[in-house]
Amino acid sequence: MQIQLQKIAPQYLEIEKTQHSDVWNKEVVFKKGERIQIVAPSGSGKSSLIHFLYLLRNEYTGQILFDGKNIATFSPEDKAKYRQQQVSIVFQDLRLFSQHSAAANIEIKKTLVPFSAAASLEEMAAQLGITKKMQQNAGICSYGEQQRIAIIRSLQQPFDFIVLDEPFSHLDENNSIKAMHLITTEAAKRNAGIILADLHKVPFFESDSTLFL
Amino acid sequence: MKLSFKQIAPFLNTGASTGSRLISYLGLGIGVLLLLCSMQMFININVLLKDRNPRTSGFDYISITKKITDQNVGQDNSFSAAEISALQSLPFIDDATPLIANKFVVSASGGPALPFTTDIFLEAIKTDFIDTIPPSFTWQPGQAMVPIIISSDYLELYNTVFAPSRDLPQISEGAMGALVMQLECTGVYGTQIFRGNIVALSDRINSVIVPQNFLEWANKNIANISNSNATRVYIKTTDANNVEFLNYLQENNYQVNKDKTKFGRVKQILQAVVSGLVGFAVLVILLAMMLFSFYLQLMIARSKDNLQLLLTLGYSPNWLSKTVAKRWIPMYVLIVGSSVLLVQLFQYFFIQQFLNGRDDLSPMIDWSVLITGAALLALCIGINYGLIRKLLHRL
Repeated sequence: MQIQLQKIAPQYLEIEKTQHSDVWNKEVVFKKGERIQIVAPSGSGKSSLIHFLYLLRNEYTGQILFDGKNIATFSPEDKAKYRQQQVSIVFQDLRLFSQHSAAANIEIKKTLVPFSAAASLEEMAAQLGITKKMQQNAGICSYGEQQRIAIIRSLQQPFDFIVLDEPFSHLDENNSIKAMHLITTEAAKRNAGIILADLHKVPFFESDSTLFL
Repeated sequence: MKLSFKQIAPFLNTGASTGSRLISYLGLGIGVLLLLCSMQMFININVLLKDRNPRTSGFDYISITKKITDQNVGQDNSFSAAEISALQSLPFIDDATPLIANKFVVSASGGPALPFTTDIFLEAIKTDFIDTIPPSFTWQPGQAMVPIIISSDYLELYNTVFAPSRDLPQISEGAMGALVMQLECTGVYGTQIFRGNIVALSDRINSVIVPQNFLEWANKNIANISNSNATRVYIKTTDANNVEFLNYLQENNYQVNKDKTKFGRVKQILQAVVSGLVGFAVLVILLAMMLFSFYLQLMIARSKDNLQLLLTLGYSPNWLSKTVAKRWIPMYVLIVGSSVLLVQLFQYFFIQQFLNGRDDLSPMIDWSVLITGAALLALCIGINYGLIRKLLHRL
């Protein structure tokens, strides 16, 4: 199981910006079980890459193949299955249901296609220190608490890859390390690959390779 | 936990515009009730106003003529072969045959037993249209005796009006056969005398009937007229009150004995009223469904962000469409089911209260009303699902 990027580049990005990139307009392969760090300064298309991988946008040249299939040809039902069982995500903008509790936000994902070997919700919340926030509306939690809710939500399903877009931007180092540990533990249970994109190299993420966008 | 509407319900704004939703339910219920009631009434009218005159053969025999108006008076108002063929080909007419009339002058005298003389007319018709045909109703060229069948009304008129006014003896049905009258037939070829013998009375044909071959022979050999068109046509139908039959008569300017078709005219009016109600009911249903579709669009618009996020998280658009659409199925079943039940109750009370004693109308609603109810239910559910699916796939 692998994700292949075949010379993809955002349509809006100037050609000069792709020349020194390890990803744009290159042949890149992410294998299941690998840990990839992508370092991307602002304006380099980091979120665009994440959105391309998660089928949220398709304004790119080239092809992205998942297990040999071009994801641009996926039907709405194929997309749903891809997101349910194959690729999980932590968005930079989190995308929580602000009017609903932390627990409800996590539960709505867990109910879809649960992963039985995942740690329980209570254990995860305890690890990340948000147990007391679980019944609070996500909209009134701090940004850091929301990030932790989004991380827990992303770990409720089976996945072959988990894609993370600046997942610790509002967490202190201690909580960031705890969150990273939780992510790597859950990914290991699934033998899944981790693709973490951030502005800088994340020191506590032991990656197999680092790519510069 | 199995995925169901319960899990996503908190994320949908289904409480939007409750008032318009309830009005659309009410409108749909009224429309369905009106439509199904009208259908059942249409069927009831057909059953109640079907001709009930006892008929030995199961058919009605009705004579039709062309209406004489100021525009066509003096013209040829006979039926051509094509017009008779057209009548025969109509689905609600089993058969049509012309009534041939004499083209020469005929006078009849009763002889010593019945001392009066009168001009009369003679007509002939296909024998299977005559209700009573004795074996003696035949004629061969050269035969002086001509068998005659007259309308039983004529005997009654003679006995009750004509005979007393002229001091003539009344005649019984049994004695009629013994009576021989002289028929004097005069045309361009001169006069020929025949003896006429009444061999039967008819309750069906309002005329003086002679064998067809005699009249054709006489028209040719006395009046020098062959193959003349008839001004009267008898039609054979299973239902004289058939509305299509009446419409056909009106369109072609034909007329019949109004008494024979009075139920048909009443039925025509009632069915027109009921058809109007059906049209109105369909309009009400369409409006109710439009109002409900506005409600759905509003609900999905208000829930758009949440629905988009659910799709982003991996919820299947097909599953979402079906799950959201299924939520309204119980309501549709309740509305249409209640309407069908009310129609059944109306039918029952209609028969009990207004038709006491009549057993020709079933207390159960017609199967076509049930099928229409089921079809309406399927249509509502189908349109609902199609709309939700379309809206969700647009997100």
